[in-house]
Parts: sequence; structure tokens; C-alpha cells
Amino acid sequence: MSSRPPVAPLDPVEVAAAVLACLPDMTPARMHLLVSRWNGPLGALSAVERGLAGGVLVERAPPEHIPARVALARAWQRAAAESAVPELLARRGTRVFVAGRARFPIADDVPGRPEVLLAEGDAPGALDGPRVAVVGTRAATPHGLADAHEVGAVLAEAGITVVSGLAIGIDAAAHRGALAAGGAAVGVVATGLDVVYPRRHTALFQAVRGAGLIMSELGFGVQPRPGAFPVRNRIIALLADVVVVVEATLRGGARITAERALEYGRPVLAMPGSRRNPAAQGTNALIADGAHPLLEPSDVLLALGLTPGSRRVARPLPASGSDAGRVLAACGGEPATLDQLASRTDLPPDLVAVAVRELERQGWMERAQGLCWPRA
Amino acid sequence: MLASVRSATLVGVDGQPVTVEVHVAPGLPAYHVVGLPDAAVRESRERVRAAVLSSGLSFPNTRITVNLAPGGVRKSGSGLELAVALGVLAAADELPSGVLDGVAVLGELGLDGSVRAVPGTLALVDALARRGTSAVIVPCANAAEASLVRDVRVRAARTLAELRACLQGEEGWPEWAVLPRGGASPQRHHVTDDEPLDLAEVRGLAFARRALEVAAAGAHHLLYVGPPGTGKTMLARRLGGILPPLEHHEALEVTRIHSAAGETVGGRLITAPPFRAPHHTASTASLVGGGSGRPRPGEVTLAHRGVLFLDELGEFAPAALDALRQPLEERWVRIARQGSSLAFPASFQLAACTNPCPCGLGAPSCRCSEVQRARYRRRLSAPFLDRFDIRVRVTAPEPRDVPGESSTVVAARVRAAVERQRARYADWPWRQNAHVPAGAVDLLLGLAPDADAAWRALIGDRLLTGRGAARIRRVARTLADLDDVREIVPAHLESAALLRSDAP
Repeated sequence: MSSRPPVAPLDPVEVAAAVLACLPDMTPARMHLLVSRWNGPLGALSAVERGLAGGVLVERAPPEHIPARVALARAWQRAAAESAVPELLARRGTRVFVAGRARFPIADDVPGRPEVLLAEGDAPGALDGPRVAVVGTRAATPHGLADAHEVGAVLAEAGITVVSGLAIGIDAAAHRGALAAGGAAVGVVATGLDVVYPRRHTALFQAVRGAGLIMSELGFGVQPRPGAFPVRNRIIALLADVVVVVEATLRGGARITAERALEYGRPVLAMPGSRRNPAAQGTNALIADGAHPLLEPSDVLLALGLTPGSRRVARPLPASGSDAGRVLAACGGEPATLDQLASRTDLPPDLVAVAVRELERQGWMERAQGLCWPRA
Repeated sequence: MLASVRSATLVGVDGQPVTVEVHVAPGLPAYHVVGLPDAAVRESRERVRAAVLSSGLSFPNTRITVNLAPGGVRKSGSGLELAVALGVLAAADELPSGVLDGVAVLGELGLDGSVRAVPGTLALVDALARRGTSAVIVPCANAAEASLVRDVRVRAARTLAELRACLQGEEGWPEWAVLPRGGASPQRHHVTDDEPLDLAEVRGLAFARRALEVAAAGAHHLLYVGPPGTGKTMLARRLGGILPPLEHHEALEVTRIHSAAGETVGGRLITAPPFRAPHHTASTASLVGGGSGRPRPGEVTLAHRGVLFLDELGEFAPAALDALRQPLEERWVRIARQGSSLAFPASFQLAACTNPCPCGLGAPSCRCSEVQRARYRRRLSAPFLDRFDIRVRVTAPEPRDVPGESSTVVAARVRAAVERQRARYADWPWRQNAHVPAGAVDLLLGLAPDADAAWRALIGDRLLTGRGAARIRRVARTLADLDDVREIVPAHLESAALLRSDAP
């Protein structure tokens, strides 16, 4: 990692914010309370060191929780006194962004804004230009994955940073699309920066670190926990200028991201899908609620006020009378089995097979999960 | 004072000739059986004694020693009792000398002296005939089965007293009903189904039907994946009806195995390929063979030269399915026991059905979570799924679909394709395309000149494993056999690639 750009030495405010974030059982809400009570991370840290945090912690706590909160304040006092975080920050090359300061990537001061963001990666410039969040369900269809990949690539080619959550499914496909097109990616995780979750994305984490940043508001060592993901999703919404939802189930994390984005006044684009596809129900519902439909991946550039380049080279459709043309038309834009294609075209199975293979080679069709998925 | 009688016992599904030696000597009355008898053989002494006395004969009141040779083989079952009884009579000079020379004796005794049927008669008589026995005495109920072995004179025995009279020449041998040779019988003997199953009852599903025909023609393993109620099971159960009948030596082998496993074959040669459909709660031992005590053949052996059909594949215990991997590759099952190891033949064709995911709908309407799907996929290990040459996704027929061809029409095409394979592999140790080893694929499954480029493209763009590539090539060869062309053309490769879709 000799090519890694040098990280400027952190100033005391940044170090103090990182130490606070790494205190045991620190939550975004507690962080906000501490920082606003003592006018910034420096004041908050010195209050914690003097054992004054207990006052804030018990303020609105129900009586039965008070002993635990007092104990937590003592634990914080000890942890802050012997914190190894400053050395850890220097060793890992971690960047620290503190809310309200010049370099903080979220300009507007809205409720729920994180007080501190830790970031690691080789391309800090990823935060400088426009940013678009591409999110969606983990249970994505092959169509959805292809779409997310394409949206990521379109954005990357226009020099726009793709923000997502590094989850399985749409998130990963969007990151991969951006990386494949040589663009920048920002992954916002719901764990500490030293934790990789899901584990099978170890290589993707490495790639995003290499071509962008991995960001988190949580301290080192924080493990994944179900409640943390919806909380993390507000950061994705806040970091983005536009939020694109590719595929989402009716109730899922991607819906939460979209709702936060609407609260914060970010435009939301949703890709419509078949009503038979459970992974399109969330996006269709978003459109019904007023989100802009994303009919073409390049439409996202229009939403940012950019003109889409004529990127797509028109491929000639197979002739409508040919076997391949009939088979493609028989799909009706939806995935179909070979049996269905044979029945709808009245072609013998062997000819359907040849036509499908031809369509596959020309990029008009993809086979996955035992079905033929047409690509318009 | 000493007599020896030929008989045989079952070891696995094969017969093992046994020499029963009986020594009768003066001394205190005693009865000993030596030579690795199991409990059933040891307790035969009471039956032998009672049967001899009930038949009005005298049981020597002296010291009797029964030795079962060879001593290293475990003797099991009750089929040696008649031989022991004759040996006792011969040693006590109750039989004319020499009448048992060159004759082997099989049968279980009742207390009244009646001779009862024994399992595995065909295997036992076959093994005896191979060792030069020219005549056998078998229970009357097994006589027809024993007569399936060529070059052996079969004598039927009904009771011990009658048998002794026949041996002494006082009476004629009893007749038994000779069944017509199975090959001539038009009725097909299906082990699992009594209702006739015809492909004409299946609407639509052109591709799935084609897959069934190809699987039958080349003995390829077949997997149907699809939602419940789409006709997967219906189609797969009709596989037996389009397979060609067994050749004579195969029919003998299958009948021998089923008889040895204790299935009633009724003296008829099984000429239709067996079709076995164990329930998904089947244990590993019941599928591949084994079990405590005498190792028994499993479903894979009973499906030898036929079809093993596993419905709801995803519900089988993963350990049981993984145990199928070795017999699928080697077409033998080796069961090791302390001191001995048995090999059961298991050259079967695997047909299976499964749902694509727990909700059963599969893409694109699946309502399962990613975690549920991943857990379901883990039940069917990738190496196991890789062994299916043909994997087809099935959905419900379209409303306009009409019934397809009947089984008779399809069976005729299958039979012609099988004949072509038998002719091509006449000089080789395998019979059908699915059995050609990967190393011989390039040599035997030649491509037409214009198919070479298609083959390269296919290998490149599907990222096939070596095994996967060979499987596509074999299926392509079967398609060529169905079309009656000498070399594989590109269309065969394309179809073969589509018949092997990705895992569920």
C-alpha cells in the first residue's frame, strides 16, 4: 500500500471526536447529546474524562436504568483516560470528519445528522464531486442486479461517486458497476471500520477502499447488529444528492433509505418493475408515492442536471420473423422457461435451444436460475 | 459315517457355494454346527431334527457334527437346512450312496418336514452352476426361478419324505409349473407402479419431455426443478415406460439381485428396467446398502440397470445424498465390514425432482429471503448437483398446450438410439453415452468440423468445469443418436448446453 495518499495529521478536535465515537456502547444519539451539551467534541471529551457524562446520560433515563447509566459514565471515564484510539487512527490512516466543520461531507444541519464520520480509503476525492446513492434489496433478481450494475457504471462514467451500503444484492452490484467503469465508490457500513460484514464481500471491501472510501459513524470493533442498518441508511441518504432505488421489497432497508431521503429533501428515483416481481413491489410503491420513475439508467444524470452522453450503441434487434426474434418476443419482457418459449412460439425444442443460445451470444438474453431473462 | 452335500449361501447379492459335511459317530447324543454359522443357521438344528422325525425317519441318537465349508465365509439364513437334513440321513445310511454326487441342495424345512422357499434362489443356483454343479434340488416354489439358469437340471422338492422317496427311486419327481420366459411375456413388470403411465397424459412441457427422452436414450441423470404441481413428478414417473427392455444377461442379473434382496420375483424374469422410488425419509444405509448384521443391498443396487427416482430431492438427508456420489461415479457400492468387504452393482440412472426454494415458486415470483434460499441451496451440495447431466426448470403448462406424443412413439425413438449406442460401444466396456469416461470423450464423441468453433465458444462462455464440459458432450452425442447422425453438429451442442441449466 505504498501508493496510499498521505493522511494529514489529525487536529485535536478530530482526535477527540474519534475517541468519543470509540467509547463502549456509544450510540449516535448519545454522541449528539454529549457534543451539543459541551459545544463540540473537545469539550465533550474533557467532560467525559472528568466523569461528568453521567449527568447527560441519566437526564431522560427511566429510574431503573439510572444505576447502569452511572456505571457506563464511569466506564467511559476509564476508557477515555487510557484510550488507544489516537495511535490506532494514525496506524490505520483513518480520516475523521466532524459535523459543522469545513470538510464535513454533509452540508445541511438536519436532525439525525451524524456528529462524526470515520473514513478509510485511498481516494478521499470521492467526496468532492456530486454523489448518488444506489440502493436496493438483498434478494435481487438477475434483472435487478444487471440494472444496478449499469446504473453504477453510468454514474461512474459521468464522474459521479456511487454511495451505497456494501450489502449483498443491489448494493454490491452498484459498487461493482462503478468500480468496473473506473469510478469512485463510497461504502457506508453499519459496523466499525475494522469489521467486514458480510464476510463474503471481503474482496469488494478491498476494492472500494482502493477506489474510494469506507465510512462509518461507529467506533472500531463494533460488530453488526440488526438495529444498526436502518440507522446507517440515513447517512447514505444524507451523503447523496440523489437516491436511486433499483429493486426493493415492500418492507426493507432500501425503503427506509428512500423515506429518509424524502425527509431530507433529496430527490428519489425508483426503477419500476413487474407487479409479479416481489423485489419490484417496493420501487413500484415508491413511484406511486411520488418518486420519479427511472426508465433508463442515464435518466439519473438528468436528475442531477447533467446531459446523458450517447453512451449506448444501438444493437440491431433480431429480425422479427426469425426464430430468435420470435423467441425474444415470446418472453414479453419477463423471464420465461424454455417450455413456455417452445409453447408460445410453436417451435420444436431443438430450434428454441438454438435461438436462445444465439440470443445469449448477442447479449439479448441471459440464463439464470433455470430461466431465460430477456434484456431490453 | 461321513456325508457331504453341496449347497450355497448368500453373500451380499451373490451366491457362495458351501459344502455341508455331516459326521455321525458313536458317542453321547450331541449336535454341533461349526464353520461360521449365524444365529439362523445354528437354530436350524431343532428344525432339522423335528422335520426328520415328522417325516417318519429316524434321527441318529449319536454324536453329530455339521461342518460348513469354506470356514471363512459367514453362512446366513435358513437355506442350508435341507442340505443338512439330507447329510444327516446320508451319514446315517438312510439314503443310497452316490445319489447326492454332483447335486446341490437348497431349501428351508418346516417342523412337519415340508420344504419351504428360500430367497435368492437364482443367485445361489447361478453360483453353483458356475462351479460345475449340473443338478439342483430346490423348493417347489423356487423351481421356476432356478430353471432360469441354463445348463442345470432342476428338481423340485415338496417334503422331506417325498424327496427321500424320489432319491431312492421309489417315486417320480414332482412336476412344477413352468412359467413362460419373461422375454416372451408382453406384460411389463414395473416394481413400483401397477397403473399404466403414458406420456400422452402430459400436456405441453415440450422441453421437459425432450429432456426425459434424451435422459432415457443416453442413460443420463436427470433433475427437474420447479414449483409444486407443474408435472415434474408426473413426467419423471413416466421415464420407466420409455426405456428399452433389458437384454437377456441384464434381465438375469436384475432378477438375481431382486431375488437375493428378498423381493418376490415369482419365478419370472424381470425384463423391464427396475424403477425404484424410495421416500425422502430413506436412511443412508437403505439407499446405498449396508445395515447391521448381513449387509443388505440398498435402493441403488435394486435400481441397477434401471432408474432410481428421488422425488423432493431437497427433503432427503444431505448425508444420504452425498453417499450417492461414489456409486454415481463408479457404478458400484463397496460396503466394508470387519474382516470382509462386499461390492454391490449400482449402475443406475438417477431421476430427481425438487422445488427451487422453500416457498416453491422460484424466480421471479419467489418470496423467500436470501438467507432461506442460501440454506436451501446448501442442502443440495454443488458436487452432487454437478452429477446431473440434464437439469431442467419446469413451469406449469400454458393454457393452450395440448397433450404430446404417447410413450410408445417416444420409446421407439429411444430404442433406436440405444441400439446405435450398443453398436458403437460393442468393443468397449460401456454401453451408453452417459457411461463414456471423460478421457474417452474426444476419441469417441467426435464433433463435425463446423461444431468445433461452437464447442470452443461454449466452453469459454459458460465457465464449465471439466466434468461439466464432458457431460454436455455426452448429452450432445445422445441428441445426435436420436437424430441418427454420425457426428455432433453445433445444434446438438447448443441444445445440450440448454438442457444443463444452472443449479436451482
